[in-house]
Amino acid sequence: MPRSVLAVVLTLALTSLSPAPVAAATKLGIVAFQMSAETHARVANAAAEAAKAKGWSVTVLNSRGAAPDHAAQVADLIRGGVDGIILAMGKVQQLEAELQEAQKKGIAVITVSSGTGKYTLFDVNADEFVVGAKIATYLLGRLNYQGNILMQRYEQHVGTRIRGKVMDIELSENTGVKVLATHTMARSASWQDDVRKGMEALLLKHKGEVNAIWASFDGQAFIIDDILQQMGFKKGQVLLTGVDGGKEAYKRIRNPESLFTATIDIPYEKMAREAVDAMEKIVVKKLKRTDVVQGPFLFVEPVLIDSTNVPRE
Amino acid sequence: MRSALGRYGTVLALAVLVLVLSLAADNFLSLGNLANVLKNASFMAILALGFNLALITSELDLSFANVASLCSIIAAVLLYGGYAVPVGIAACLGLGAACGLANGLLVTRFRIPSLIATLATGTMASGFAFMLTGGVDYVGKLPAPFLFLGRGQILGVPVLIVWTASAVLVALFVVKETRLGAHMVATGEAEEAARLAGIRVKRMKTLGLTLSGFLAGLGGLLLTAHLSSSNVTIAGGFLMSGIAAVLLGMTTIEVGKPNVAGTVVGTLIIGVLGNGLTLMGAQYYYQDIILGLIILGSVGVSASQMMRAAFGVSH
Repeated sequence: MPRSVLAVVLTLALTSLSPAPVAAATKLGIVAFQMSAETHARVANAAAEAAKAKGWSVTVLNSRGAAPDHAAQVADLIRGGVDGIILAMGKVQQLEAELQEAQKKGIAVITVSSGTGKYTLFDVNADEFVVGAKIATYLLGRLNYQGNILMQRYEQHVGTRIRGKVMDIELSENTGVKVLATHTMARSASWQDDVRKGMEALLLKHKGEVNAIWASFDGQAFIIDDILQQMGFKKGQVLLTGVDGGKEAYKRIRNPESLFTATIDIPYEKMAREAVDAMEKIVVKKLKRTDVVQGPFLFVEPVLIDSTNVPRE
Repeated sequence: MRSALGRYGTVLALAVLVLVLSLAADNFLSLGNLANVLKNASFMAILALGFNLALITSELDLSFANVASLCSIIAAVLLYGGYAVPVGIAACLGLGAACGLANGLLVTRFRIPSLIATLATGTMASGFAFMLTGGVDYVGKLPAPFLFLGRGQILGVPVLIVWTASAVLVALFVVKETRLGAHMVATGEAEEAARLAGIRVKRMKTLGLTLSGFLAGLGGLLLTAHLSSSNVTIAGGFLMSGIAAVLLGMTTIEVGKPNVAGTVVGTLIIGVLGNGLTLMGAQYYYQDIILGLIILGSVGVSASQMMRAAFGVSH
């Protein structure tokens, strides 16, 4: 009997959850690769908001970091007859079969921070190599090209990995800066604890020797900032940088107690809005792709933020 | 009538679900979409089938998703290294079976509860996958004959559906029609009685876990071929959904027991729900909420077997 009840509950849930169909509205599917990652969610949510503001019918899907789900969701959207798909940090190369089908059916696919592919229109991208170079150049410059640093890396994400590699290249050109130690974050649900434990150990080991800390993304830098404050460090004693930007980063840069020095602001919301605007031009206004964006990328400029240009509260 | 409803209620739920979705969601009932549903559900079906076979012998295999990912990595590493396709396939399936065998030996020889043993081997499998790749994805560049395993069609039917149907039919035959299958079931239902009846229960448990590992290898192989890529978490998302499919399957046909046909029904319900909700334009969080409801609804019926498998005690 409970099974019949379950069946009824599910049926009712299904029918009540489905939004009322919007006649003739443009149907947009947004697929975020991993909504639990803040940057993916920022892109997906901003794109959804921008599309809804245009009166479109929007379906947001979360692939939960799983490539098979990612492919299945894109296939489902194609079957559902969407007019366009936006992939947030998508895996374009792994979706080749599905994207080819989308192209055959005339469904426009625009990606954000996903790289380009044969069957997508273009990618809205900040270019991680540029991001990595900006923060590396900044940090080394602030050190006057001399001193000791710690590195907090994350190798299992392509963007953070690139930033680390670019930092390595810049370090090879600036031999006055020595990397005392590196902690590489494990990919796990408790990554915050991993960063805390790793950096605490390194800071205790190299007490008094550290001039700066490079973190591959802001989330790591915030944890390190808290450790430094608890250890009694004052602003300016140790330079600390991250990448991503956003309100929390600005708040810490402004905070006189915080050691967080600078970040690279990747304008994820702007990138999402650019993708939706381009989608409108191509799908609704029927402009040619080449009239909207030249080439396979629509680059947006990542901005270095420190105390000199941090937005006011 | 009441007993039939109890036994086939979940099958009925699937039928109702299909009916509702065919009315509510555009294109749901099209042949193309139904093939799409079956194709996308195939990975979950194969991995859940493995979990089901281990559970039949009253053992849990929590390593199957990580083992599938590691097997996928091995296939990709070898094929990228220029090894022949059969070598990649054999290594992938062989590694899966070896991981399953290792689980079986840990459980039966070293008397480590399967809950802990498979959690440990799953964690190790993940570690080895990171060690081999450094976390970097292998994308593209896989040979066409290999890709056919996951993307091809046979007489217009996606080959993934053929693989899944074959695995299900073989599993059904073994469990239902052979002495071996009967011994596996007897081991899971009453271990001590089975032992007294002369059944080699340790061997049956090892076999159940080895088959689970082998099917994890097959799942990893098909995922790699279908996506033309591999990464350390390629099958990670199937742990919860695979277990949910088996739990849901235990609510039907052979109620309260892990059973192959029920697992297929469970997989189809989850697959159909995911597809239907997307076609209807429902947001992603509803899919998680509904999957959670399904697990909650089915766990009451299947709790007894799961408790026995996890802790060796009846609920």
